[in-house]
Amino acid sequence: MALGPESRGAADANSQLAPPGRTSGGGSLRGFGPGQPSPGGWSGTCGRVGRAIGRVGGNGLGMLVAVLVAVPVLTVFWTLTQDSGGTWAHLRDSGLLTRYAWNTVWLGLGVGLLAGLLGTTTAWLITSCEFPGRRLWHAALCLPLAVPTYLSAYAWTDLLQGSGPVQVALRSWTGWERSQYWFPEVRSFSGAIVILGFGLYPYVYLAARAAFREQTGSALEVSRTLGHGPWSSFFRVSLPLARPAIAAGVLLVLMETCAEFGAVSYCAVDTMSTGVYRTLFGLDSLTAAGQLASSLMVAVALLLGLEVFARRQARFHSATLTYRQQTAYQLRPVAGILACGLCSLPVLLGFVTPVAMFVWLTLQGGDRRASELFWGYAGNSFYLATIASLTAVALATLIAASRRGPQGWLMRVTAQLARLGYAVPGTVLGIGLLLPLTWFDHTLNRWIGSIWGPETRPGLILTGTVVAVLLGYQARFLAVSLGVIETSLARIRVTFGEAARTLGASPLRVLWSVHLPLMGSSLLAAGLLVFVDVVKELPATLILRPFDFETLAVRVYQLAHDERLEEASTGALAIIAVGLLPVLWVSYLLEPRSHASK
Amino acid sequence: MPRSEPTESPARSSMPPAVQVDHLVHGYVRGLAVVHDVSLTVAAGQVHCLLGSSGSGKTTLLRLIAGLERPWSGEIWIAGERVESLGVHRPPEQRRIGYVFQDYALFPHLTVAQNVMYGMTVAPRGARRQAALEWLARVDLADRADAMPHMLSGGQQQRVALVRALARGPAVMLLDEPFSGLDMELREKVRQETLALLQAAQVATLMVTHDPQEAYVSADIISVMQNGRIVTQGSPDEVCQVTTLPSGLATVRVNPNAPKR
Repeated sequence: MALGPESRGAADANSQLAPPGRTSGGGSLRGFGPGQPSPGGWSGTCGRVGRAIGRVGGNGLGMLVAVLVAVPVLTVFWTLTQDSGGTWAHLRDSGLLTRYAWNTVWLGLGVGLLAGLLGTTTAWLITSCEFPGRRLWHAALCLPLAVPTYLSAYAWTDLLQGSGPVQVALRSWTGWERSQYWFPEVRSFSGAIVILGFGLYPYVYLAARAAFREQTGSALEVSRTLGHGPWSSFFRVSLPLARPAIAAGVLLVLMETCAEFGAVSYCAVDTMSTGVYRTLFGLDSLTAAGQLASSLMVAVALLLGLEVFARRQARFHSATLTYRQQTAYQLRPVAGILACGLCSLPVLLGFVTPVAMFVWLTLQGGDRRASELFWGYAGNSFYLATIASLTAVALATLIAASRRGPQGWLMRVTAQLARLGYAVPGTVLGIGLLLPLTWFDHTLNRWIGSIWGPETRPGLILTGTVVAVLLGYQARFLAVSLGVIETSLARIRVTFGEAARTLGASPLRVLWSVHLPLMGSSLLAAGLLVFVDVVKELPATLILRPFDFETLAVRVYQLAHDERLEEASTGALAIIAVGLLPVLWVSYLLEPRSHASK
Repeated sequence: MPRSEPTESPARSSMPPAVQVDHLVHGYVRGLAVVHDVSLTVAAGQVHCLLGSSGSGKTTLLRLIAGLERPWSGEIWIAGERVESLGVHRPPEQRRIGYVFQDYALFPHLTVAQNVMYGMTVAPRGARRQAALEWLARVDLADRADAMPHMLSGGQQQRVALVRALARGPAVMLLDEPFSGLDMELREKVRQETLALLQAAQVATLMVTHDPQEAYVSADIISVMQNGRIVTQGSPDEVCQVTTLPSGLATVRVNPNAPKR
């Protein structure tokens, strides 16, 4: 084989890539990370400046995110140094504190177990078994994501209460009196577990589904040839491989449970989160509320530590090149019906029933001012959620990518802080942000006013606009996108990135041309989760929104609070609908389309 | 234009060695070095084999040269340019290297041609595709240019990984057990083709292998690594005598009559 003239030409074209370092600093500009310090001279100076920009760009982003998340948390912890004027002692001595703590623990256990079981079982059924309507069930299983748990609680309470349609029908049917029979009470501890479990399991489902799907079939087949049956193989191979993803999903559920306010308070379960709220507005003590919240956050930080430890124990890199779709188990008719039943249960409880209830209420009357007000609110919610999810995905991708390979302490701290942010209850986050943002706005106005005169004051640029709300969303929901994206990145083989680097790609180009395309559907999933969370978000929005700016969630909350559930039903349906569109869209996109080749 | 920096190699010959490694030390756990004070030179156009059993630090050495790891101490020069030293670390994309990974690491979301084009950054797209096709033609894969990597056999994937790295015009090719994923008959054939291609491109090569036979038939120079040190170095005939090979490797007997390249 001889080198033909054409290929020599190709080699020449490439050698135009002059050895970097000899060009004036351009080479190091491409390098996003720290370059090598070079001795002086013009080219050296250029290189240094370029590298400095790169370093500041990378670290500056991390710093910004870190500050954004850290400030509310620190503000809350700062309250520990303050004197609550006896409120804390009251909480402790009256036994309220222990009640809050134990309720939160038991609620977390119950919800985590229920959601974990539901999510993992359905995800495995959908991925590994063939039964009637499997693809339809996949889309349906995502639907409860669109129903905020507080709406679910309103609907179920209305449906099952003594004067609700079910019990009325039961009594007229049997002729019983109210005291003559037992009926499940929604506004109870177990009711809260069921409502939260069936409302939050999609977090586990989506994570587990992605993990099961990306498992190569050969791992399972090897297990079969080594003498393990389908069940044994599931517990010994599939489940352990999917464990980090399932753990991440359950962790999201647990944090959601800790921060849960609407449904839990409606069910009259006193958790740490409702305790914070009650201390804040009932006992009127911001300090004691902050102190309660900081103990809640310590608990969640422990959870986080466990999760990080578990993830470190199990770093799986899938061998994507030898990837082979696993063959689905063909279920016999009876088993197929059972599978359908199992998949329909969470959909019925978490989605169909509440939605049907709201539809019925809307048909009964609904909100009479729907046409004038609702599209505006829907637009507000959609606009906030779009900006927040795009930002969250972009930030999470950059953070996750910077954390791959050797990383500085700043990025490590940033990622951990972002995770912690998700655990901060919305009310506390709101207050924790509102205090420093207000301070910033006023200080800025005072400064500018004193320099250029009072008429040049810019006004409340953070707290007077949606910027404050958006900052709050990032502090709270960045963890959602970060979790999904980090899990997805961890599954991409390390050599892909290394190969790209040795082929001349800068870290940014590696991210853009290799990691982003390979993450594909996970980016969408990350964006979707943030989007839905923002549409449903209530307490932080209530606190941080600019004057007269209402989202759908705020409107519904205000109506339901006044026991005007019938009027609230229209808004509730609208929230569900707004959340539904991306759910359907992504559940479609997450489905494996028949790839051209296997 | 002021002088940029002292980038010439200490040995001021007319043709600097493709790779020069001086007193390299590296490990993954503090205090536990897996590469101990290794010095090594790969002359231009030479095929140099790093022979050693698994865990001897040979892959780590390759990764250090590529810039995928940052050594604890020591210097690395590539084509006369200092790329690694105290306070100096050229990232991998700024080193004139081609790296063929043990698992080939072909990007699964790009076609074969796009994989080969990935490392070419300057020329316009049409020219890059043309060049990629020419490279593929030289390994008889021009007709698979638009296939996805998973549609290729192991031997074909290996060849794509090879030309993908070569198409950048590197000063040195780093091959990490490049034939270990192939079956015996194919391995022989692919090895001959690979070495012929490398020779035609006149590019220096540093190849990691645990197979003495493979090293014997491929290399101009063999360095035997054991416990992170180079214990023996020399021509294949000098090195591949059973007595001088470390115990783990001696069990594989080298057939001195095997056809050399």
